[in-house]
Amino acid sequence: MVLTIGYLRLLREHAGLPAVARQAMEVALPQWKLSEPVNEVVYGTRGFDTFGETFLLLAAVISVILITRPREPRRGYFGEEAAGRREREEVDPHSGHDRDQEQAREAEKEEAGEPDDAVGGVRSHRRPETPDAEPVGSPAPERAHAMSVVVRTAVRVAAPVLAIAGFYLVAWGYSPGGGFPGGAVMLGVALLVYAGFGRQRIAPVIRPGLLEAIEMSGAGLIIAAEALGLLLKGSFSANWLHLAQTGTILSGGVAQLFSFGELIEVGTGLTIAVFAVLGMSHDWTPDDGEDQDDRGGGGSGSGSGSESGSSSSSSSSSGSSSGTSSGSSSGSGPDSGSSSSSSSGSSSHSASGSTA
Amino acid sequence: MIAVNYLGAAVLFCLGLYTVLTRRNLIKMVMGLSLMESSTYLLFISMAYRARSTAPVLVNPPKGQSGTQLAAGNVADPVLQNFCLTAIVIGVAVTAVFLSVVVRIAQHRRTLDADEVRELRG
Repeated sequence: MVLTIGYLRLLREHAGLPAVARQAMEVALPQWKLSEPVNEVVYGTRGFDTFGETFLLLAAVISVILITRPREPRRGYFGEEAAGRREREEVDPHSGHDRDQEQAREAEKEEAGEPDDAVGGVRSHRRPETPDAEPVGSPAPERAHAMSVVVRTAVRVAAPVLAIAGFYLVAWGYSPGGGFPGGAVMLGVALLVYAGFGRQRIAPVIRPGLLEAIEMSGAGLIIAAEALGLLLKGSFSANWLHLAQTGTILSGGVAQLFSFGELIEVGTGLTIAVFAVLGMSHDWTPDDGEDQDDRGGGGSGSGSGSESGSSSSSSSSSGSSSGTSSGSSSGSGPDSGSSSSSSSGSSSHSASGSTA
Repeated sequence: MIAVNYLGAAVLFCLGLYTVLTRRNLIKMVMGLSLMESSTYLLFISMAYRARSTAPVLVNPPKGQSGTQLAAGNVADPVLQNFCLTAIVIGVAVTAVFLSVVVRIAQHRRTLDADEVRELRG
């Protein structure tokens, strides 16, 4: 079906431009003073489309934030669970002294290469403040929290060039470019610096509070730019700014303003999304409680409270959790396979499997 | 010549659909979705093309032509290129949401197999 549609569309190669496209081409120079019709379509004549798309992106970013949200509010994307753990130890010193959990936490900390000052700093003497203070030729790129000196120098050269290029794409809106590619380039700069220098160097800038505020101000700028057209000129996304000469930075009027708002919106939005996913850590804190919730839900479905209690205790004593339990439920025998349709049945089988 | 583009878009779409339908690894399913999205971009750009047309850019028109002449001449369709931009942004948004959901699933179930996360519990 796709093929037939495609071949029907083949006829378009020799067809004339549709009226919408022709009109966009003709309107771009005299009315918007933009020599880039695609930008004119995106931010001018089809501005409402882009407006909706912007807020679709915003909605996606918000849902990513919601999905990746940690249990307690944090100021940074990385490493603050250490501080939360210390606090928890103070409040409730008997929670989480399970040996397996301790081991898992140690391993996770090792992996993450967290600054240990929050928990007491056993290994803090091994890590200098900035990656540049680390002696050249020291082993283990996998232990270091930044990349090697070669990469760092390259990032120092490339990141400013890239950042300027991102702004260039937006500011010179009369040539190919615009807010979306500019924002993507900004994300690239943030990721490059993160990869080169590690999280400590970007933590003052890349933090949820700041980025979300900037993003919302970008969204506010876009709304204001478009709604003012409605107020002043009588139609949404109409131009209400003075149009400069073609070939200058301000030549697009509202289109350029919209493009700049889009740069803020897309740049910060993508950065938030990427760092939220990157910094998405499993909160180990309520590990056993969570399992209890899992099993409790399944057990109450089967209606026997004692069974759910035993299953939760067995799961917390065997430090491995739900992945292995589901594995054992599938491997515990043919009867579990036959009763796989009901979730309560499988959970009771998994309990028997892990006790046996 | 442009037929190759349409064929490529169709092949990409089918490849993505095949990946989504047959793989059980959630990451691979997201990759298949991205593949299907990219086939849409290719389709849009190919549909915008006209025989021997130039890009819809009026900066530095070729010799002997003004910008307005170029605008009235044989250019590719800027509206479809705009749609392609829109599709790219939406694709990024969708992929971001899917990936974060996949990471949460992997954290809670310790598996990426779509068959193992079928029960609605927890």
